[in-house]
Amino acid sequence: MSALPLSLRRPSALFLSIFLSGGLIFGARLAFTADWPLSPPRLAANFGSFAKGRVIVGVALAGEEGSVRASEDGEIAFSAEEGTLPSGLPSALGSFIVVEQRGGIAAIYSHVAPGTISIRERKPKAGDPIASPGRSGWIEGTGVVYQVFDRRASSWINPYLLLPPLADDAPPVIRSMAFSRGTKDYILGAAASVPQGTYRISVDIADPSNASWSAGVLAPYAIRLSVDGVEISREVFDVAKAKDGKLQLFAQNPMAADDLRTTEGRYELAERLFTRGRIVIEVRVEDASGNKRSASWTVLVE
Amino acid sequence: MEEIGKRRLAAALVVVALLAYFLVCAFPLHKELVLMPVWTKSISVASVAQTANTSARQKGVSEEKASGEKVIPFRLGNRYGYFSPDGNIIFSAVADYGVALAPDAYATYDRLSEGFTIKSPYGAELARVAATGYPFFAAGRRFVIGPDQMTVSELSEPGAIKWSYQLASVATAFNASPSLVVFGLIDGTIVGLDSAGKAVLDFAPGGSRIAGVYGVAVSPDGLLVAAVTGADKQRLVILEKRSAAYRVAYHRYLSSDYRRPVYITFTSDGSRLAYESSSGIAVYDRDTKRETIISVPATAYLGQTIRRGQLMVVLSGSGDAKRLICTALPDRRVLDVPVKASLAFVEAKNDSLFLGTDDSLVRMDFEER
Repeated sequence: MSALPLSLRRPSALFLSIFLSGGLIFGARLAFTADWPLSPPRLAANFGSFAKGRVIVGVALAGEEGSVRASEDGEIAFSAEEGTLPSGLPSALGSFIVVEQRGGIAAIYSHVAPGTISIRERKPKAGDPIASPGRSGWIEGTGVVYQVFDRRASSWINPYLLLPPLADDAPPVIRSMAFSRGTKDYILGAAASVPQGTYRISVDIADPSNASWSAGVLAPYAIRLSVDGVEISREVFDVAKAKDGKLQLFAQNPMAADDLRTTEGRYELAERLFTRGRIVIEVRVEDASGNKRSASWTVLVE
Repeated sequence: MEEIGKRRLAAALVVVALLAYFLVCAFPLHKELVLMPVWTKSISVASVAQTANTSARQKGVSEEKASGEKVIPFRLGNRYGYFSPDGNIIFSAVADYGVALAPDAYATYDRLSEGFTIKSPYGAELARVAATGYPFFAAGRRFVIGPDQMTVSELSEPGAIKWSYQLASVATAFNASPSLVVFGLIDGTIVGLDSAGKAVLDFAPGGSRIAGVYGVAVSPDGLLVAAVTGADKQRLVILEKRSAAYRVAYHRYLSSDYRRPVYITFTSDGSRLAYESSSGIAVYDRDTKRETIISVPATAYLGQTIRRGQLMVVLSGSGDAKRLICTALPDRRVLDVPVKASLAFVEAKNDSLFLGTDDSLVRMDFEER
């Protein structure tokens, strides 16, 4: 297992996101100055988790005790209660609150307990209680979903980039890798060889969770894929943005979320032509706490 | 004698002038508008579900076709159902979590809804939908909002997904016409999608320190889109479709500074826009581009016009203390009555007013005297 290059580490990803977004001027200063809105932070889903019917573009924190606290100084921009909004739109986020922070950042705390949103203090300070954890709207368990929206770049930012690192020493698990062509899948390891041709390469990764419930398998923070030592894919779960009515992930090499995730639940990272011979394919993953894991397979292409 | 003659002449002239004034400048007094009670019905589940359900709903489609009557949906908290203008309670039930209601269909859904059944008011199954999220109906169209509050889909008649669209951020407001569906987002953008799910409007009004959309409305013809946007300062923005694009036709800063969803709606004939303002219900006249205020004592949460758009009905208040206020537009109040109910709704049709309060429905008809 080798260390990921510096370019995949968080500060670099942050600067990358700042650079590409053209916004988030205060991003560098914001980094790690925010605090987790629910303590202790137990992740039920994270940025890039593919949950039922949606891609999580924030973090879902499990917990029934304590208060949901403002992660930064800010000003309440919007709040709504669970149910149908006056316009007739149901609130799938249940009771939620939007806090305007500096630098064009809007923080959203959703699925909180109905009737607990505190709007007496319109400008909450970091650490001020703003609601109670809840299970309002479309959410699998009790807690809060925290999302960070960069208004200037019109994109969602991985909250990991702004929050203190989690005390986590469990690296992500690489469960399998597969080559797919048409409807045929070759799970590497199980298949001794594959016919030559063009394949979609997918990898099944999960980051362990310590939460009492889950909204989806935890996504890694970064994935790097190489064939015979040559990097063919490097993805960092840093930002997400809707473009032309479709959600895209990654600041560099944006990829449609629908294309990234296969129906089997794997991340489909690249498409490659393989000719006869022996190839070595390697995947390296890293979570937000810097825990890394790698795995490699030798494949005979016939 | 000559002096007396002059006085008489002057008096006669005054009388003639007064007569002429009354004849020429006469303005008829407003007729008194009164509300006459027609019927009162209980909509408690116990009294209705056992009787009306069995008598009408189980007969299903045949009953619906036979009756041919237009039924009216109601929702009071988790209780929902349908009734006919003549006082027939089609059914009354309690939703476990949520319900989407329209005059022609409804669908109940669970908190973790991954599918639902659309039914007619008489219980006939219209469509089974396999979609994750919550349904909502408007302008004869059926939609689903995803668990992220950003993915919206429109359903076809048989319940298939016609199109899906990923909004740039969380939707806070919505409205639809037969040709246009509009969403307001937390990022301050107003997004309009046509009937094929193609974006035909993507506009961020700006001009406020904090961006946001607190309410949107589409005129029935789809040509006007209005929104209450931004905070510090809050703005009313009206966009009008000219050629193929929507352009700002009117805007003004408001004295309100809401940080929650606000009520805004076009009247059914599209001639006026009513929206919640800090001093009451503001009514914008599309033709004159003038605004008048209907002052109401607290949060107004429903505004409808009847009698050819000349009378606005508003239900206002909070808690158990609400008021039903009717105003002859632009600003002549003709009715203001207290409504003691924790849950209430009002529906205005033609010359009738249907008022729902907690567990009963009342029909009252306007009469001129």
